[in-house]
Amino acid sequence: MNSGVWEEVGFAKLWNEWCRTTDTTHLSPAEAFCIFYHLKSNPSVILCQCSCYVAEDQQYQWLEKVFGSCTRKNTQVTILTCRHVTDYKTSESTGSLPAPFLKALKTQNFKDPACCSLLEQPNIVHDLPAAVLSYCQVWKIPAILYLCYTDVMKLDLITVEAFKPILSSRSLKSLVKNIPQSTEILKKLMTTNEVQSNIYT
Amino acid sequence: MFVPCGESVPDLTGFTLLMPAVSVGNVGQLAIDLIISTLNMSKIGYFYTDCLVPMVGNNPYATGEENSTELSINAEVYSLPSRRLVALQLRSIFIKYKTKPFCEKLLSWVKGSNCARVIVLSSSHSYQRNDLQLRSTPFRYLLTPSMQINVQNKMKSLNWEEMEKSPCIPEINDSEFCVRIPGGGITKALYDESCSKEIQMAVLLKFVSEGDNIPDALGLVEYLNEWLQIIKPHSEDPTVPSLRWKMPSSWRLLFGSGLPPALF
Repeated sequence: MNSGVWEEVGFAKLWNEWCRTTDTTHLSPAEAFCIFYHLKSNPSVILCQCSCYVAEDQQYQWLEKVFGSCTRKNTQVTILTCRHVTDYKTSESTGSLPAPFLKALKTQNFKDPACCSLLEQPNIVHDLPAAVLSYCQVWKIPAILYLCYTDVMKLDLITVEAFKPILSSRSLKSLVKNIPQSTEILKKLMTTNEVQSNIYT
Repeated sequence: MFVPCGESVPDLTGFTLLMPAVSVGNVGQLAIDLIISTLNMSKIGYFYTDCLVPMVGNNPYATGEENSTELSINAEVYSLPSRRLVALQLRSIFIKYKTKPFCEKLLSWVKGSNCARVIVLSSSHSYQRNDLQLRSTPFRYLLTPSMQINVQNKMKSLNWEEMEKSPCIPEINDSEFCVRIPGGGITKALYDESCSKEIQMAVLLKFVSEGDNIPDALGLVEYLNEWLQIIKPHSEDPTVPSLRWKMPSSWRLLFGSGLPPALF
């Protein structure tokens, strides 16, 4: 989003038990949002920032509302998500895996190569990314899910950098500027989120 | 709803539908996996529904590089036209309050596609057995009235045991008797709906406990095989059941990843 001018075009509002109340004066629970932006220079490119948990009994309705309003023809979907590395099943111990690492799952109609290896059996994906990919598979929409397995629970630079290979993919490279400087840009974007440690003050 | 993989809806007139109930030990689902894998059934469509928790993964029946990258979702339909068999596999649990809508949608699809009969593979808690059941075979069958007319004699010749009725309210002495399938998930609901809609349905179940349920699944497919003869029957082929049924590649690592060597 740092590379272009994005305009907010809509949002999906929902509430479930996972939503946190940040407002301490009003006790009613906060609602969570998924915000949709389009690229001003090319409004057919839409980005969705989903920073809330969409519960399993809300996922189908979320899909119908979001995909119901856009045409299925000539649409391509890219999903980015993370999971903890202990979710990854392998014959080695998960402690020995080179986390973070990227895996991909794509629908039948997605013909481009993935930027990383595909997710091997018997691994599976749940939650909203799985709901979106299922929808795309059933309705023959080309879609790819990039899943980063990480060993940290909070946002960190190394995990975000694991997604770098996808910036060179056919669908995303035209959206990103200054790929060689991306590490510096990411560092700047992330310092605003870091909590300063005050153990020694 | 059923969504075909290809352009046209396949004709399932006269086919036998095999399906699991999501039940204790997931025995029905494991059994359907064995059937699809052994018979190399081809995927013909998806049962797209808001009733099951979404999940995706790559082809669970992959045999090599070339077929390991087809995406699979939580409810898919496979067929083997030469044997007039169609199988529905369910890979996740039901969303709260959605079991009844699912049963209705499923049976409406069954009626609409003119399937001849439905066979549900299921299981029930082994700790709920009464004294007689503890001493007998762990397999049971149940038939809807319209199915009984056709296959009751076959069941008798196979010497199979019908699922017994038990008190509807277990602790009450003068409670009425009815068929109960504790741990059977939607089995009873499907059976009741099929009775009222006059659908030919058979339920085949095994009393099991949670644990490594692969032997239970092998037992259940062998039980089904006595009737349907999906693969060469036992008496002609004395090999061990686990060698005659092909376990899919997705059954790897059922109990988690490898252990760290430092543990030892």
